[in-house]
Amino acid sequence: MTQKHVGRRMTRTEDPRLLTGQALFVDDVQMPGMLHAAFLRSDYAHARLVSIDVSAARERPGVVAVFTAEDMGDDWKHGPPLVSPPPTVEDIVFHSRTHVPLVKDKVRHAGEPLAIVIAESRYIAEDAVEDIWVELEPLEAVVDLEKALDPGAPLVHDDLESNLAAHLVQEKGDYEAAKAQADLVVKRRIYIDRGAAGAMENRGIVAHWDVRAQQLTLWDTTQAPIPIRNGLAAMFGLSSHQVRVIAPFVGGGFGPKIMMYYPEEVLLTWATLKMGRPIKWIEDRRENFFATTQERTQVHYGEMALTKEGRILGVRHDFLHDTGAYDPYGLTVPLNTQSHAMGAYDVPNYSSELKVVFTNKTIVTPVRGAGRPQGIFLAERLLDIAARELGIDRLEIRKKNLIPPDAFPYEHKIIDQAFAPLVFDSGNYLATLERAAAAIGYEKFIAEEQPRLRAEGKHVGLGIVSFVETTGVGPYEGARVTVETDGRVSVATGVGTQGQGHFTSFAQIVADQLGISPRDVRMVTGDTAEFHWGTGTFASRGSVVAANAINAAALSVRNKVLKLASKILETPEEELELADGQVRVADLPHRAIELGELAAMANPLRGAVEPGTEPGLESTDYFGPKYGATANGAHAMILEVDPETMMIEIKRYVTVEDCGTVLNPLILEGQIHGGVALGIANSYYEQLVFDENGQLLNASLADYLIPSATEIPPIEVLHEETRSPLNPLGSKGAGEAGTIPVPSLFAQALEDALQDYGLEILEMPMSPNRLFELLHEESKTP
Amino acid sequence: MKLEGEYIFDGPREEVWEILRDPEVLAKALPGTQSLEKVAENEYTGQMHVRIGPVSGVFTGKLVVSDELPPESYTLTVEGRGAPGFGKGTGHVQLSEPEEGKTLLQYEGDMQVGGRIANVGQRLIDTASRSMIGQGLDSLNNALQARLVGEVEGIEVEYVPPSEAKFAAGVARDMAKEMLPPPQTLGIMAVVALVALLLGYWLGSRSQVDSD
Repeated sequence: MTQKHVGRRMTRTEDPRLLTGQALFVDDVQMPGMLHAAFLRSDYAHARLVSIDVSAARERPGVVAVFTAEDMGDDWKHGPPLVSPPPTVEDIVFHSRTHVPLVKDKVRHAGEPLAIVIAESRYIAEDAVEDIWVELEPLEAVVDLEKALDPGAPLVHDDLESNLAAHLVQEKGDYEAAKAQADLVVKRRIYIDRGAAGAMENRGIVAHWDVRAQQLTLWDTTQAPIPIRNGLAAMFGLSSHQVRVIAPFVGGGFGPKIMMYYPEEVLLTWATLKMGRPIKWIEDRRENFFATTQERTQVHYGEMALTKEGRILGVRHDFLHDTGAYDPYGLTVPLNTQSHAMGAYDVPNYSSELKVVFTNKTIVTPVRGAGRPQGIFLAERLLDIAARELGIDRLEIRKKNLIPPDAFPYEHKIIDQAFAPLVFDSGNYLATLERAAAAIGYEKFIAEEQPRLRAEGKHVGLGIVSFVETTGVGPYEGARVTVETDGRVSVATGVGTQGQGHFTSFAQIVADQLGISPRDVRMVTGDTAEFHWGTGTFASRGSVVAANAINAAALSVRNKVLKLASKILETPEEELELADGQVRVADLPHRAIELGELAAMANPLRGAVEPGTEPGLESTDYFGPKYGATANGAHAMILEVDPETMMIEIKRYVTVEDCGTVLNPLILEGQIHGGVALGIANSYYEQLVFDENGQLLNASLADYLIPSATEIPPIEVLHEETRSPLNPLGSKGAGEAGTIPVPSLFAQALEDALQDYGLEILEMPMSPNRLFELLHEESKTP
Repeated sequence: MKLEGEYIFDGPREEVWEILRDPEVLAKALPGTQSLEKVAENEYTGQMHVRIGPVSGVFTGKLVVSDELPPESYTLTVEGRGAPGFGKGTGHVQLSEPEEGKTLLQYEGDMQVGGRIANVGQRLIDTASRSMIGQGLDSLNNALQARLVGEVEGIEVEYVPPSEAKFAAGVARDMAKEMLPPPQTLGIMAVVALVALLLGYWLGSRSQVDSD
């Protein structure tokens, strides 16, 4: 088979629809008799619910219903955990406390819903929300991660002895012994703060219980339509075939839309089942700052032990992870942090004590990066500091420690996010780093350009870091590939799409297997009526797990095509080829049959069905990897700092990515660009600021600064390709790669630019203000 | 959030104390006040409708007066809430006479705000509070002047309070002086609403304390 489409820089087939407004988003769904929901949300971060009076709201003309937790009766339940709880091992503590649809006794974060109003219009619903009188008794809020564990701290969950949600220790080798032999031990406290995902499209739901059809349909901006379907069916006693969840085009997922079941998903479903009318809720931007999950806050006490030659002997970090008011997503994020805390390096000894902490803040679930940026920040920062103390070049110290190409599969001897052994499958880490160094012109910059620019009084610095990204985790995805009688091919898969270009890159895979144009592939994603089984779009797994399922189904169809064509063309299968939408004899191209014609013949007429015959050129297949594939890469940048205003200008930004087989370089570049943009946001712009009462102080896009095109530089994207041995396509994920190393890169580049100040950056995000404070705090003058 | 400042009234301390007792003047000085009721000795509840820019809603609040030492000082504890959020605070007010015919009012306190006001207007609260308090006190000083003129001339001089719109415009003008970019206007308005409310209780209820 000639590889014609996979690897091709093809423009996206979905873009004409998206760009001309022909694509369906949840808010485009209009139904006769549709009602609109709005929520009363708590202004307090921590408060006891004393009483709630909705009578005035119910009386407002146009209001159809108002519900509180009490109105839900036995249907009021805590949400199920999203991920399996950790195995019950002696030294793992895990207190599962999941969220509720509406507050019944106690508010645990600002924005937690207290009541839902359903009205003829959103305007009426919003007005009626203001008619509700709620009596809340404010309680002292748990905000600071370290103070949260003090004895006597107020409790987020009254039934627990403390705010400790989980405790877990991971050990590899013997860190203490390694430390005893080390020439240098660097120790630092590192702090990373919280940010929002900031998707362009907020969340939205339309729920409709069709009484006559006994069918529930939910349009939902979810990244996981199938699990939502399964969960809602189970919750409300419906068969999974009675529930159809459609995740249409979604304007950005970035993690929080994998969270389930959001209170709004449960409540709209519950209400439509009760009322039999379609109900719509579209999250507004301020709600999004409270009601949609967030991520990143961690405090690390990190140590790295090294020889004087700069070889890492061990890493230790004890850290606190903020899970917010509840922990439905278990330990996924902090386990990811541990999986990345040794970076791309061969670290023989590792020790990490994790404490997960409940706080009176919005729930934490993965946001693009998902614990990985924090781990990489720790590893890269400690290595930078060690290099400086040892007088070793930062590129050299990295090269010395990278996992060598012959060490794969590299067993890390700790557990990953799925409590399975962490194994890095493949890669050539040195190659990506050297390529990045060459592309940014490392040697020349250090030797010539930087001294010249500094002589001109410019504060210009370079950063270069390595990273890994665990991707493509199981359990599985599936796909159905069908050749239609017009010769085009329909493909359905369970994952939803939020801008990843699935319609195109998946079509390229099918096109190669079946010898057609990718533009003749009709793709359906995220509709449970089209495909019944699957997990979702998360953890950079679409191009690994779903793509390989599609490849498997397309291959099965290819085999069916060949088998049938062999019979019809009276030629052995090996002598046939699929190209240009037909099957033909390779040596005699005029002996051919169109795929569509073959598809029609594969639907046998009466009397032609022998036992075992399956109609159609169709196949459904699944793929589940043994374990996740690990991508890697290196980023390098040159930036200039204005020492007066602390504003920065990124002069150059280079990334080298190795995500295995590249399905479509253009789409991959888009993923990397978006990822880097979030990384830059996490490094210098976006930060959710809470006061000591758990009030979010910048819940608007006027105050929460999402960088725009003017802050994001041109990004040069280069590739290395080390195929993953874990799947037939050889692919690894790339969805989060762009984001992960950026904070560590930024810190290094800022320090380099301001090297006269002896600055050490041990926190993220930075900002012009914070940089100014740091420089003046230590009264550092050049 | 810390609140502190001072203001000089053009009148003797007893007169200033008096005017702080007059509910009608105070309600007028701060447009939008719908009700002020005494519910217990030194405890009041009230409602105020605020409609400034895109933020509107009825605030309901409670005020407690303590440590009263006429005509010198008192402590106020205020709690208010409504659709745009909530606020609570404690303030100490001190009146003195630095010179004949002048009264110096000094205030300091702590205020905690939450909800929409805190979420979208946080970094502007200081400026907005200063403006709100300054304007409210200016308005009271005008009322004081009207009263003093009336006393001298032996007639009732009608005090014309600023309209709600004029009041809002004044705050907006003060904010503009701080050279803020336009997107923050919404936040400012929310803050203005709360400060107006708190000030309303504080001054309004104060007047009732003594007039009862």
